[in-house]
Amino acid sequence: MQQLINQVKKILKAKEVDLVIGWGKGSLPFSATPVFIETEEDADKLIFDQTCRNNLTSYLTKDKRRLTKAYEKIGIIVKGCDSRSVVLYAVENQIKREDVVLIGVPCQGVFEKKKIAKLAEGKEVLEYKINGDNIILNGRDFESKYPLKDVLCDSCLTCQYPDAPEYDFFIGTPRKEVSIPEAYKIVEDFEKKSAEERWNYIKEEYSKCIRCYACRNVCPSCYCPECFVDQNDPQWIGKTPEVTDSIIFHLIRNLHIAGRCVDCGACVSACPVDLDLRVMSKKVEKEIKERFDYLAGIDINEKPAMATYCENEKQDFIMG
Amino acid sequence: MVKIKKTRLKDFIDFVQQEYDVFAPTEVGKKTAFKKIDSAFEIIHDIVNTDRSPKEVFFPQSEVLFEYGKDGLKTPERKEKPIAVWGLRHCDTSSLTMLNKVFSDAHQMPDKDMFKDPYWKEKYDNSLIFNQACNTPLSTCFCHWFGRGPFDKTSSDIFVVDVDDVFLLEGISEKGKAFLAKYEKAEQATKEDEAKITELKRKAESFLAEKTDISELFEKIGKLWDEPIWEEISGKCVNCGACTFVCSTCHCFDVSDEGKKGKGKRIRLWDSCMFQLFTKEASGHNPRGISTQRVRQRFMHKYNYFMDNYGVHLCTGCGRCVQVCPVNLDVRELIKKVLDYKIS
Repeated sequence: MQQLINQVKKILKAKEVDLVIGWGKGSLPFSATPVFIETEEDADKLIFDQTCRNNLTSYLTKDKRRLTKAYEKIGIIVKGCDSRSVVLYAVENQIKREDVVLIGVPCQGVFEKKKIAKLAEGKEVLEYKINGDNIILNGRDFESKYPLKDVLCDSCLTCQYPDAPEYDFFIGTPRKEVSIPEAYKIVEDFEKKSAEERWNYIKEEYSKCIRCYACRNVCPSCYCPECFVDQNDPQWIGKTPEVTDSIIFHLIRNLHIAGRCVDCGACVSACPVDLDLRVMSKKVEKEIKERFDYLAGIDINEKPAMATYCENEKQDFIMG
Repeated sequence: MVKIKKTRLKDFIDFVQQEYDVFAPTEVGKKTAFKKIDSAFEIIHDIVNTDRSPKEVFFPQSEVLFEYGKDGLKTPERKEKPIAVWGLRHCDTSSLTMLNKVFSDAHQMPDKDMFKDPYWKEKYDNSLIFNQACNTPLSTCFCHWFGRGPFDKTSSDIFVVDVDDVFLLEGISEKGKAFLAKYEKAEQATKEDEAKITELKRKAESFLAEKTDISELFEKIGKLWDEPIWEEISGKCVNCGACTFVCSTCHCFDVSDEGKKGKGKRIRLWDSCMFQLFTKEASGHNPRGISTQRVRQRFMHKYNYFMDNYGVHLCTGCGRCVQVCPVNLDVRELIKKVLDYKIS
């Protein structure tokens, strides 16, 4: 942690950046909170641990930019998925790569507080301790121990790029691509189902949606100034949480982020009704990978899958 | 005060169901919410705050106001029984009284009957509210900041305390007393039973985190409209709106027509001041086009405007927003920041 703080102080002092976006300690045991650091003294607020859930890069895009001042150069602390979002913005011309300074941090996966709440079965967890591969949860009158992997985000469990593929500074030594044998298991299980089972699953899952759009609003890849669901002239879909409209919303959003989703899991964490949002986004990711050999946010010099055309691409979905 | 053995709760709920549709904390999807139950076995007793707030019982997320067609307008007729809500903690009971002010209290209007919402009134006015003492407040609870507490009995019909293997029930309103008197199978509570309440109350209050004095909040926040504090506070907000959807007192809505050729319906549905579209005008102008303005609106409404209009803060301290906020924008810290802020 001190190494991170020192690095941030150094680039602030050298005026290499005039703002650094990172994480600070939050008010709840499993939530870090975004902090905006402008001075060397403030850099002491920075932390990095497994509570640093947020993908902070969405603060960089024009429409989601909450920053009221015009900063010339912004430093941002990135996990693997976060750095992939920056690459996405760069290839999609949302930011210039040279306008941001990326400080990579070694990521061991981040906590999914919904999983923790579920394990605690309604009791409130007030503290935790990491003990090797286990996590010990403490509440008012209980203590229980679980394997650490049971409380990590699903995205982290299949993450092939835990350390930033793209960075300017790295705290420690970055690992290269990690091989995950069953990265698409949830998709494969889904594909094995019959068409009817898949349709029933989609209907059942999305019937729980309350259409608050938290998934879209936290998504770093969703940065349209006006989303199709918000347009009312013409109005594309009904506004009530009627299941057919909710399905249209989710499936179209999936298509809009095809080849653009970096699987940071922000949508899953933000959903207040715990929808299974990842099956479809991983399904689309797998399709894009198989058809176009493309994974979002890895190579800053590669054109996005949906923005280029190659004659020898598989076309069976059109011709067959 | 009477008592009902937990093992006999089904019989009591059956009795309530003869007259009312009973809504209670139960599982909905992977979350908990107040939903209509068929039997007492569906009730989850030990949750403090349901994930979804009980406002949807009386103010559903989408509600048909009327249907229209070539032969005119048709207002839906409510055919269901009146509503009884079991398992409300006091924060949630008081949120309903706040919403009741919005939908029923037209004290500032020239014509007092003009702005009463028939859809809300029909449900809320005929309801039976069971307000259950909160034995184990969470670390995110701050009802005591607003002068309320986990064992408050006000604003309800019947007060319920979960004690060991029984529920103690006390009629609070005339309606509640009369209803309890009709249930002949309840036993009278003993002095010992009642003594246990004092102990439970003391224990529950000891769980509450440190109290912040908010007596100056209304005046202070009212002076901050033009101050840079809102930029600082809203900096990390991603305008996801999850707070407004789980909030038990947020009640802003949109009205949408869903029509096919020749017929259609007008629907009222929840909206959120966190969304850009909420205030976008037909001309394209948006008075709250940037996030900072929207965040300011939400908290000004909660801690200033509502107090101005109805004499109470539009927040019960239930802590749901604290739990769901993806960027940990903790409203308790916001309040402290406002109180500590030095006006430039």
